Amino acid sequence: MSLGELGQIFVNAVLLSGILALVALGFSLVWGIMNIVNLAHGAFIVLGAYITFFLHELLHVDPFLSIPLAMLVLFTLGWGIQRGLINQVIKAPLLATFLLTFGLELLIVNLINFFFKADLRSVTTPYSGTGFTLGSVRIPYIRLGALGVSLVLVAGLAWYLKSTRTGRAIRATGMDLDAARLTGVKVAAVYASTFAIGAGMAGAAGSLLSMIVPFDPNLGGTYTQRAFAICVLGGLGNVANVVIGAAIYAFVDVFVGARLPSLSRAVTFAILVILLILRPQGIAGKSA
Amino acid sequence: MKKGLAVLGTLVALALLLALPRFVSSYKLLTYTRFLLLALTAQGWNFIGGYTGYAAFGNVAYFGIGAYTTGLLMLGKWHVPFFPSLAAGALLAACVAVLLGLPILRLKGHYFAIATLGVAEALAQVADTWDSVTEGSTGIDLPIRSDGEFFYYTALGFVILGLFTTWAFARSKLGYGCVAIREDQDAARMLGVNTTLFKVAAYAISAVFAAVAGGITAYQNVHVTPGDFFRIDYTLQMIIATIIGGVGTVIGPVLGAAVYQLLSTYIWGKFIELHPTVLGLVIVFFIVFLPRGLMTVIGRRRKSGERPFKASDLLANVRAHRVT
Repeated sequence: MSLGELGQIFVNAVLLSGILALVALGFSLVWGIMNIVNLAHGAFIVLGAYITFFLHELLHVDPFLSIPLAMLVLFTLGWGIQRGLINQVIKAPLLATFLLTFGLELLIVNLINFFFKADLRSVTTPYSGTGFTLGSVRIPYIRLGALGVSLVLVAGLAWYLKSTRTGRAIRATGMDLDAARLTGVKVAAVYASTFAIGAGMAGAAGSLLSMIVPFDPNLGGTYTQRAFAICVLGGLGNVANVVIGAAIYAFVDVFVGARLPSLSRAVTFAILVILLILRPQGIAGKSA
Repeated sequence: MKKGLAVLGTLVALALLLALPRFVSSYKLLTYTRFLLLALTAQGWNFIGGYTGYAAFGNVAYFGIGAYTTGLLMLGKWHVPFFPSLAAGALLAACVAVLLGLPILRLKGHYFAIATLGVAEALAQVADTWDSVTEGSTGIDLPIRSDGEFFYYTALGFVILGLFTTWAFARSKLGYGCVAIREDQDAARMLGVNTTLFKVAAYAISAVFAAVAGGITAYQNVHVTPGDFFRIDYTLQMIIATIIGGVGTVIGPVLGAAVYQLLSTYIWGKFIELHPTVLGLVIVFFIVFLPRGLMTVIGRRRKSGERPFKASDLLANVRAHRVT
């Protein structure tokens, strides 16, 4: 492996880690605050991708401009799902929410399949495929833009959770439900906001992914798994952990992918299981 | 009195199932065989997921191991008969479950669930890549046996065996220990339950059931591929069937499998394209309204003074778990 090749792999990993951080951000928030592993997260991502795709296809909206709209639609959907369904079983044993979100993912993916067909789609703009080179390393504009958007959203969420009233209420609820309730936090509303923000972030991730990789309705499952892996690697608890987890995952994925492409998923999962056994709180997480 | 009624009901159901192949077409018999095989996997999942309370999401791995072991032994240079092959598959699945269970059963909650999911995923990829043994994604072909009744009665035999095993398990030291682990693992350990041993045992038993079902399915389907035999759908089906019937009960998984197969077959026929949507709705309905399954509707015990199940209890189930 030459130095130039190594540099390209490194840059690819950095570019990938930005978008993966956004993929896992909402998932990590919902898990950390509500203790729900949202298996429908990938389906939300796919919905975001379809919103961007159709806005671009039918109305010629630039994909980067459709991100806020995708976020808004998913935010609303997330709010509704939380209020109508998940809130009803949130205190039930883990398996209940696990299966409920799985049922939702089954439902959403099948409906997308039914209405939009299982064709492989991608958003192609005039600037798709263009980029610049630094030495022997190529950097596509879209990937750089996606990294920028991801960083802005990650930083924005970190600021929101730290500095706003609702943000603090969300964190307080995640730390201690009963204590938060005693101090006057409306837990149901906080949960709904949390889930809605998580879905909104998934929508943004989907918008960005639609420009980078071709997608179809069944793509969601892989992204849910990746989000999970990232949360495990980084640990739950704050936004920085998600970024660390995404960076580790991206580097492992890119390097293993360059060496053993056919076994990349098996290797990634094997690493994950070993890590889970050695450090169940994640690499960056604090021990319980 | 109530208990006698339950036993009588079970006996009548069994008699009907035994006589069934005389009355239905061979095509319908296939559906019933599928129901029995699903019931078998659900019975297996019930040990680890129901009694021990560990959300195992990778039991399809043992289904696949059973299918491949049975298939490979019956093929090629060995030509081992079916039942010894099936037993070998079950044994291998149990060994793998013990080896994997020792590390991953230390995990809790979501982490355990995803670790098992990962194991299933990794095994599927191994089966897909290990060309020299599994023939990769092309798969292997078993000897053909087009005798529907043979598969039906084999599956029925194992389901009945499964009922007895579950019944005995629930009344054994092992079963009580597993339930104690489900309710409070630390307390169970303090009372002297060897938690690791009990959890691994329950996990291995569940693997044996999945492997037997996998072996029978492989022989019946003739063609075994990683794509067909490591599908996460199978894991979900066994979990959903158990939940529909009632987790941690003896008859629950079989009852749930019957309801699931009935719904599935009916929905298949009516809305082929929207099948997963309706399935998703069924899952959502059961989780929200009947989280503890149909057995809570049927099997309310008189002696503990509970009144019979009413429709209003559906809403009470919802109210018990929601946050306001």
